[in-house]
Amino acid sequence: MATTTAAITLTSADLLTDALSLSATKTLHKAGSTVGLDQTTGMTKAYLTAVTQVDIFPTLIEGSLAFKNKTSWVYICNESEDETEYAIVKLSGNVIGKLYGGDFLWMPWSMAEDADADNKHADIQLTPSVATGMWFTWCCVNEGTEYPTSV
Amino acid sequence: MATTTATITLSSTDLLSDELSLNTTATLTAAGNSTGLTLASGLSRKKVAGAHGQYTLFDGSAYTADKAHKVYLKNISTTAAEFFLITVNAEDVGRLYAGDWALIPWSAHDNDCDIKIDPSANDMTLEYMLFIDE
Repeated sequence: MATTTAAITLTSADLLTDALSLSATKTLHKAGSTVGLDQTTGMTKAYLTAVTQVDIFPTLIEGSLAFKNKTSWVYICNESEDETEYAIVKLSGNVIGKLYGGDFLWMPWSMAEDADADNKHADIQLTPSVATGMWFTWCCVNEGTEYPTSV
Repeated sequence: MATTTATITLSSTDLLSDELSLNTTATLTAAGNSTGLTLASGLSRKKVAGAHGQYTLFDGSAYTADKAHKVYLKNISTTAAEFFLITVNAEDVGRLYAGDWALIPWSAHDNDCDIKIDPSANDMTLEYMLFIDE
């Protein structure tokens, strides 16, 4: 097994009257265990040049979410340096939030079937706000991925 | 305006043949500009005593829609099998097992965009903080 850690610090000297200085560190484990996650998509760096929605992990198989409710962790960063440029982040077609230039997210992903039954599986989707080109990085660290059979 | 920063570090020496060492810092700003977020829920903890069930942590209708809110969540349990299932707009996002944390953008884009939490066991405590875009 591998040992992968995710750490965060949240700091501010002026958001509150008292200083905010929060830290959390966690080793990434398989669901319900203390066994380390051992698979990853690797870090993707992508330059998206259209305002169309893309599926950033296009390997989920219709009707066969083999890793549903297993542990997957997703990192996405909008590398744009323009604070007006954003990407809409959706999960199975439902808006989670927007990542503006410089923003990142770190979230678990249970690959659950779409609650709306609109055939989007558990896709994580990004929609850039401009077509002039935006850089993104993303990766998934997980228990495994079921890849489509080649035809 | 306030200056609040979030820094993530992902590291591993044995997940891949090459070392993973990622470090990213973001300043938490309002939607579409460089003004720092000035409102926050404060760092909080919530425990549902007795029988566990799904509850609404943040009501989408209570916050300005289509903004750059950020949500920090942490499961402070030390029991590996205990998790919180996070849902947004009734869609399963994922499970936070013991010690896990997450930082998620939240646009509260409509009244249905609630963030709900479903503990897997009784008496679990969630730590959370919402950074609010006015």
